[in-house]
Amino acid sequence: MGAWTRSRRREAGLLFPDLRRDVAFPLAGAVVLFAAFVGAGLLYTLLVEGASADKLITAMFIDAIMVIGIQIYVGNTGVFSFGHIGFGAVAGYAFAIFAIAPDDKYTRIPNAPWGLADVEMGPLPATAVALGITLMVAVVVGIGLGRSGARSGSVAATVITLALLFFTHEVAASWNELTGGERAGLTFGIGDTLQTRTPVYLALFAAIVLALLFARSSIGRLNHAAREDNLAARAMGINPVVQQTIALLLSVAVVSVAASLRVYEIGSLLPEFFFFQYTLLTLVMLVVGGRNGVTGALLGVAIITAVRETARRMGSDGYEVFGLGLDGNLDWVFREGLPTVLLGLAMVVFMIWRPNGVVDDWEVDAWLSRRFTHRQPPGAAVEAPEPEALDLSASGVTVEFGGFRALDGASIEVSNREIVGLIGPNGAGKTTLVNVMTGMVDPTNGVVHLGEMGLTSEPSHAIARAGLVRTFQNLRLFSSLTVRENVEVAALMASVHRNGGTRADVDAIVAGAGLWDQRNRRAGQLDYGNSRRLELARAAAAAPAFLLLDEPTSGMSDTESLAMVESVRRMAAAVGAGVLVIDHDLNFITGICDRVYCLDQGRMIAIGTPDEVQADPAVKAAYLGEAAQQGENSS
Amino acid sequence: MTELIQNLIDGLGRGSIYALLALGVAVVFGVMHLLNFAHGELITVSGYAAYAAFSNGWSWYLVAPLIVVVSVVTNLLIERIAFSRVRGSSEFTQLLTSFGIHFLVAAIFLMYVGARVQTFAEPGWIADTFSVGPIRVEVFDTVVIIVAIVTLAVTAAILQRTMFGLSIRAAAADFDAARLMGVNSDRVIRGAFALSGALAGIAGIFWLMRAGHTSPTSGINPMLSGVLAALIGGLGSLKGAVIGGLALGLAEVMLRTWLPGTAAALTQGVVFTLIALLFIFRPGGLVNVAHAERV
Repeated sequence: MGAWTRSRRREAGLLFPDLRRDVAFPLAGAVVLFAAFVGAGLLYTLLVEGASADKLITAMFIDAIMVIGIQIYVGNTGVFSFGHIGFGAVAGYAFAIFAIAPDDKYTRIPNAPWGLADVEMGPLPATAVALGITLMVAVVVGIGLGRSGARSGSVAATVITLALLFFTHEVAASWNELTGGERAGLTFGIGDTLQTRTPVYLALFAAIVLALLFARSSIGRLNHAAREDNLAARAMGINPVVQQTIALLLSVAVVSVAASLRVYEIGSLLPEFFFFQYTLLTLVMLVVGGRNGVTGALLGVAIITAVRETARRMGSDGYEVFGLGLDGNLDWVFREGLPTVLLGLAMVVFMIWRPNGVVDDWEVDAWLSRRFTHRQPPGAAVEAPEPEALDLSASGVTVEFGGFRALDGASIEVSNREIVGLIGPNGAGKTTLVNVMTGMVDPTNGVVHLGEMGLTSEPSHAIARAGLVRTFQNLRLFSSLTVRENVEVAALMASVHRNGGTRADVDAIVAGAGLWDQRNRRAGQLDYGNSRRLELARAAAAAPAFLLLDEPTSGMSDTESLAMVESVRRMAAAVGAGVLVIDHDLNFITGICDRVYCLDQGRMIAIGTPDEVQADPAVKAAYLGEAAQQGENSS
Repeated sequence: MTELIQNLIDGLGRGSIYALLALGVAVVFGVMHLLNFAHGELITVSGYAAYAAFSNGWSWYLVAPLIVVVSVVTNLLIERIAFSRVRGSSEFTQLLTSFGIHFLVAAIFLMYVGARVQTFAEPGWIADTFSVGPIRVEVFDTVVIIVAIVTLAVTAAILQRTMFGLSIRAAAADFDAARLMGVNSDRVIRGAFALSGALAGIAGIFWLMRAGHTSPTSGINPMLSGVLAALIGGLGSLKGAVIGGLALGLAEVMLRTWLPGTAAALTQGVVFTLIALLFIFRPGGLVNVAHAERV
C-alpha cells in the first residue's frame, strides 16, 4: 500500500485524522454554537424579566446538555434509544441520595440501606459518584446491546433500552427506603439547591465540545458508517459493537451530568421526573432540530422550549399574545394540555414531513471547515510495489439452506497477482461463495484460507481486517456520508487494523476513481455508474490483499463496463491486491481476467483461461449456450 | 395444587386478552415492519366512546360492539392520517411516528376531556364465580377465554382461507419477498390495520370491563402488554404472538404470587427485563423467525 500513503500530511493521531478539520474547526464551532445558544437564552431573560424566565432558561440549558448527551449515541450510531432517560434516572437518584444533607435524609429516608442516610457529600463529588454508578449500568446495558446485534432501527435496541427505562422507574417508585417512593420522593433543604449557573455553563460547553469532537473522531466516523449500513461497515472491517459501546459510554456520561444538574436545579426528585414525559420531550427536541448533528440538537431544544412556553402561557388564564388567548374566541386551542399535544403533534408531523429535522446533519464546524479549506486535486497515483505472494483459497465449500444446496463442494484458489473471474448462471451459488469467504454465511462444510490463516466462519469484520474486502451486488454505500467520507472511513479502518498507522491518501483514491468533482456530494445522490465506482474506490481504500467484486458492471452500458475494466485494473494495481470478480458480462470477464472459474448448481464445472472456459462444452451447456442464444436473438 | 390451577386459569384469562392485543401488534408489524406503540390508544379512544355511551344510558350489550367498531375506525384513521405517510421510511421514523401518536391521542383527551378518571359500571357478573370441585373459577375469566378462542378461530380462518389472509401471512413470513410480490398494497395494509383494530376492540371490551374506568393515560398498559407479548413471540410470527400473550399472562400471575412482598410491585419491570434478556440471548424471541439480510 505504498503508492497512496501520503507522507506530506501532518501526522495526526489515530483518533483525529486531520487536526485542522477534526479538532481546530470543531473547537471553533463549539464556541460559535455555545455563544449563539446561551446568547439567545440570555436575551430572553433580558426581555422577559422575572424569576420564572430565569428558571425557564436554566432548565433549557440543562435540557440542552441532556439532549446533546442523547445525540452522541442516537445521532452517531443511528441506534434508537428510549433508555437514556433511564440512565438519567439512575444518575439523578444517585446524585440526590449522595448530595442531600443528612438532616434532610433523616426525615425522608432514615432507613436507607448501607448507611446512605448518613453520607455527607458536596454536589461535585456526588455528581462524580453518580457518573461512576451510571457508567457501570451503561457497561452492562452496552454489553447487552452489543450481544443483541443492535443496529440502526433494530427492535432489540428499542426493547432493551425501554426495559431499562421501565425497570429504573419501577425500582425508583417502589424502593421507598432508598428513593422516598412514588409520592414523597426526595427533596433538598431550602437553599441547598443550585444557586448559580456557572456549573451549567461549564457542563454545556463541555458537552458541545465533546459531541463535536466525537463526531469528527475516527470512532465517530466509523459509527457513522455503521449507522448508514451495518452490513457494509462490517464488510469494511468495522466492528460496530465496539464503536457503539464507546459512543454509549460517552453519551451516558453527559446524560449523567445533565441529570445531576437537573435534580440539583429542581431541588427535588420523583420517579416521574425521569420517565415517559421527559423521554418524549427530549426525543422531540432531538428530532425536530435534526438528530444527526449538535447544531440540530441545540436548535431543537430552543424551538421546543419556545413553543412549549408560548403554549403554556396562552393556555393559562387571561394571558394574551397578539390578542390571542383564553379570553379570545380561540380558547378551544389555547387551553391546558396544549404543550403536550404540541409535542406529540411535532413528533408526528416531523416524522412525516421532515424526519431528519430542520437542519438535518448540517454542522457549524463542517461548514467552516469546507469554507476555509481548499483541497488541490492530487497527482496521479503510482502503482504499488509488487506485494509478497499470497493465496486465497476456499475448498470443498458446501452450503445448505434448509433442504436446498446452494453450494456443493465448491473450491477456488486465487493469488494476489492475478484477476480471477467467477461466472455461472443465475442461482449457481456465486454470491453465496463470496458470502462464505467474507463470513456472511456459515458454510455447512469446507474451509477458507488466506495464506496460512484460517478464515472459516470468522466474523466479517475480522475477515476484512485480514485483507478480504468485498463489494455488493446491490450497492451498499454509506449514503448520507459524502463521497470522500465513504472512502475515508475505509482508509481509517485500514490505518488502524491493516497498515499499522499509515493512512492511505484518500484524495488520491477519490481522484483515481474519477470522483474528484463529486467528492463533497452525498453518496446517495450519485448516479448509478458513479455509485459503482465509489464502491470500488471504498473497497480499495481498505487496503485489501484481495478485492471481491460482486457484479461491478451490473446495470452498466457496454462503454461503461469497458471503462470498468480499466478502473478495476488500476485500483487493483495501485493497492497491490488480487481480484476475484463475479460478473455476467462476458466481454468484461474476458477483458479483465487471467483465469476464470465457472459454477453451476453449486459445483465448479470448469477452470481455465477465459478462452478455455468459453470453449468448455459443460460451460456452454450450463451458461454460455443460454447467453449465446440471447446474443443471437438480440443482434 | 389447587392454587396452581387457580393461577393457571387466572393467567390464561389475562393471557387471552394479551394474546388478542399481541396478535394485533404482530399483524401490523408483519405488513409494515412497524412496532406500533400507538396500539394501546385504540383502548383509550374506545374507552371514552364507551363512557359517552354509558352516559347516554347504553347497556354493555350495546357498548361491546360499539367498542369494536370505534377501535377499527380509529385504527383505520390513524393509518390514513399518519402511518400511510411514513410507509417505506426507515424503522426509526416509523417507530417515532407511533410513539408520537401514542402521546398525541393521550394529550388530546387530556386537553378536551380532562385528566380526571371517568368511571362506568362494570357488568354485574364480573365478580361471580362458580366451583369445579375445589377450584373456584371466575365467570369473567371463562367468558374471556371462550371469546378469545372463538376470535382466534375466526382470525385463523380469515388468515388461512382468504387471499387477504395469505398476503398477511406471506408478509409476516418474509417481508421483503412479499413486498416484491405486491403485497405492500393499500388494500392489504388497510386490511391489516382493520383486523388489528378489531382484535384490539375485542380485547378492549374485556380490558374496560375489568378496569371499569378510562383516563387519558389508560392506553399505556394495554400497549405495553400487547407489544411485550408480541416481542416474546418473535414479532413477525402470528402464532408466536398468541403464545407470547398467554406466556405473558401466566408469567405475570406467577411472578405476582411468588415474588416477595416489595418485589411484587416490580412485576412489569421484571417481565420487561426478562424480555430484554431474551433479546440479548435469543434475538428471535420464543418462536424464532429468521430475518437474514440479503446480500
